[in-house]
Amino acid sequence: MQARDGKPSGVAPSRHHPISQSRLCARGWGAHEAPAWGERVTEPLVRREGQLTPVTWGEALDAAVSALSGLRRGGKAIGVFGSARATNEENYLVARLARGALETGDLDSCLRNTYWPLARGIARGSGGRAPFGSLTDVEGSEVVIVFDGDLACSHPRAAFAVMRAVAQGAHLVTISCKRTQLARLAALHVAVAPGREQDVVAGLIASVVEAGGAEGGAEGVPEGWAREALAESAEELREAGQWYVQAERVSLLVAPEIVIGNSAEALGTAIGLLGRASGHLGRPGSVLLPLPVRWNLRGACEMGIAPDMLPGGRLLDDTAALGRLAEAWGREPAAAAGRDAAGMIDPVAGLVVVADDPPSVLRDGRAARERVAGLDCLVVLDAFMTATAAAAHVVLPVASHAENEGTCTSADGRVQRVRACTSPPGSARPGWQVLAELSARLGLPSDFGSAAAVLDEIRRVVAGYEGLDERALDESWGAVIPPQGDARPVESSPRFREAPRASGDASHLLALDGVFDWGSDPLVAQAPTLSRDSLSRRKLFAGGLVEMSSEDAKALGVRPGWPVRIKSRHGEVTLPVVVCQEVEPGLVLVPFAFREQVSDVLGGDDVVAVQVTRPAG
Amino acid sequence: MEPVTAQVIAKDKVGEWIEQLMAEAEVIAPVLAHGGDEVFAAIRSPGQVLWEFTNPLHPPKQFLLPQTDPVVAIRRGSNRYELEAIVDERRRILLNVRSCDVTGLVFLQRMHTADLPDDTYVRRAAAVTVVCLACSQPCPLGFCICSAAGPFAREGYDVQLSDLGDRLLAEVGSERGGELLAAAGGLFRPASPEELARRHELEEQAKQMFGEQTCHFGSAMRRVSTGRVAEDLWARMADWCLECGACNFVCPTCYCFSVKDRHESDGWVRCRTWDSCQYAAFTREASGHNPREERGDRIKRRFFHKVSAQYYQRDGMVGCVGCGRCIEVCLGTTDMPAVVAAIRKGEWHG
Repeated sequence: MQARDGKPSGVAPSRHHPISQSRLCARGWGAHEAPAWGERVTEPLVRREGQLTPVTWGEALDAAVSALSGLRRGGKAIGVFGSARATNEENYLVARLARGALETGDLDSCLRNTYWPLARGIARGSGGRAPFGSLTDVEGSEVVIVFDGDLACSHPRAAFAVMRAVAQGAHLVTISCKRTQLARLAALHVAVAPGREQDVVAGLIASVVEAGGAEGGAEGVPEGWAREALAESAEELREAGQWYVQAERVSLLVAPEIVIGNSAEALGTAIGLLGRASGHLGRPGSVLLPLPVRWNLRGACEMGIAPDMLPGGRLLDDTAALGRLAEAWGREPAAAAGRDAAGMIDPVAGLVVVADDPPSVLRDGRAARERVAGLDCLVVLDAFMTATAAAAHVVLPVASHAENEGTCTSADGRVQRVRACTSPPGSARPGWQVLAELSARLGLPSDFGSAAAVLDEIRRVVAGYEGLDERALDESWGAVIPPQGDARPVESSPRFREAPRASGDASHLLALDGVFDWGSDPLVAQAPTLSRDSLSRRKLFAGGLVEMSSEDAKALGVRPGWPVRIKSRHGEVTLPVVVCQEVEPGLVLVPFAFREQVSDVLGGDDVVAVQVTRPAG
Repeated sequence: MEPVTAQVIAKDKVGEWIEQLMAEAEVIAPVLAHGGDEVFAAIRSPGQVLWEFTNPLHPPKQFLLPQTDPVVAIRRGSNRYELEAIVDERRRILLNVRSCDVTGLVFLQRMHTADLPDDTYVRRAAAVTVVCLACSQPCPLGFCICSAAGPFAREGYDVQLSDLGDRLLAEVGSERGGELLAAAGGLFRPASPEELARRHELEEQAKQMFGEQTCHFGSAMRRVSTGRVAEDLWARMADWCLECGACNFVCPTCYCFSVKDRHESDGWVRCRTWDSCQYAAFTREASGHNPREERGDRIKRRFFHKVSAQYYQRDGMVGCVGCGRCIEVCLGTTDMPAVVAAIRKGEWHG
């Protein structure tokens, strides 16, 4: 990133970066915009007489510490949020603040559930051998299987790797409820209803085993499960199984959208079993990667931002891991399981939120918005004035990614340095520094002189990061951490939620499209070039919209922009139609950004059977 | 053709010359950045300047048309807003610019002086001296020979250097270039006929050394200009583009921009920022209507602008200098040679 007159002004990609190799997506090319143009928090703020008022750092930290200490003395619960938008060092200090200083397991980030359960399932199903491989390996694969939300939109660099493989003759198999851009390039596109992806995975496992697979490839695959699925599945999966087994190098890419309507960990386990069944895992050039929806989501999870695990993905009862943490922190970490992001918002009296924004990111954003406004104490550390920051009692301004020092971890486990291209605006400080100060004032010794000192502690206590080569961080483009998977055997069939089926009057399925709304993310929302698409959509469809295939629109006799009534057993809503060639007939999708318009129809589910009609008159 | 005034400098004197230039102006040259990338940047010492290098991913366009370019300061006065143009007339010398990029600057100059001259650009460009370093060896992805932009520059430079082994030959391309060499004291001497002959020999040799990248603009132009490209060809290409905008950002001849006001402590700064005609929002109107909603239409528009006869007549050249950067940065496969070949053959294979 480049800076001019002290402000981020542009971006220059590198030819030598092992993954990007001169190439960036639009969000990469616009990465300098939000820090330069966004609504930045430039000085510490404390709410006085209802207004956020500028104060000194000392006053702000005092206000935060006294409010949090007061809640603790009163025995009230405090929750803590880390973030995919924060560095590893910041996230580690957040986990340390929660389990060390505030002694709570109510610790999470809003996006963790789109990635970590899936990644954990994959680790278990694959026998601890995945996540494995890199995006550049995908380019050389002979078979690529994409569990595709819409990779071209959500993960353009990954989509490019897939395109390259296809251009070089690879067989591409896409599995999705939409005929996406990649599906149009695929040798085989398997249309699947949201929530039923496991049928395809089971069919693929069976076809791989039938086609020869690896020696002992069926090991770990629950008896009967895959066989039944293959009996039901189409001939085309058999052909895909043949391609798969005959290929030297195969790639499996899993987009976060796959968790919609499904049991993410069970599905991850099934995909891990598929990886294991063919014997490709561990072979150079083969890949099995779940893709995090945002920048440092993998790093945040691995730093321990989760209610049910310790840093390094260790379980809460792992005494060795607890011992290492106790030694480093000088006190026993809180080892009780806490509540997750959605679950903690209601019961806690106080929240510390670091670079996250529950109202904009959580499924039930409306409830989160109401709840954060009613907390006894809300302390926010952020570079941007988010909805959460605007509701806070104390706002501590921190550096954005353009002004920060530290490390982050990519989808393929590459730990890389984050370097500042300029200094933070106003009196904002690096997040690691503020978190260390806050922890110290809350009684947890936190003597870190730099982000590098935090990384030193991470290397002592976080599994996978202990062997991190400091020289590789500085002189090449980071170091890749090995898979840290959960190698416990799969004991029974992965258990899936019963997916709804369309039947009778309820002849369609309604699901959300996507698991995250980039349009609400400050890095897009506050970037003038990047925000235009979502702003314009919101302006045109302030009350939401529903996407439907042209076949369905024709059958209903509706044109683009006309209203349709969508009715489930939970409730009903009327929304304007956007005809979308990519949506399969029988399915109607509402973009995640408009999730609240259909929350009464979904009734807490991800997928429901609905009746779609043209309103009379 | 007018006889060129050519002079020669020994390579061991070049450092001294650059020091003289640095005393006069900001000298911008290819240097090695952190991470091993060659980039154009203001130098701090002559030793930083690269003489054998892969052409940087960002052309020197960024010094005349930065990604974020403050153009007007807006302040709240006592009872009205005060506007002040932000003028950048800093003297800059662009050193070791390749012929493709020199041609790009010629294109940008013509565009910014035609019709309504762009004062911000024109004043900044007027203070820039361009020293070209001719290519004795074409770069692996370059096809400048197809767009008459290299390997040696024909126009647009103030001085063009060619590497004659232990010395550099300096051709003067403008009055300013002549003054630059004259001001160098005794560091330069007139070139001998043999040295001039050697320079032409180098150019002819370089022309024979082009690799596989070619771009047959002529036949593509005939098809594009007369609407003889099937619509579904653009739609098929669109599936191989991920709409990153990189082809625009690194293109030496792309100049499209957005305008946005940035809030400052004492008012606003109106900035011109790079934009991409490949972004869906680029042509979206306030009503929400978008004349080029489909990506295929946007690709079609880009290549119509780049290679059609209509624009050739207006600009005097195709909108491509054959630098090959779009091949390197394309997050997809729709770079210039690939699309030109598709237009010419009427086929697209991804």
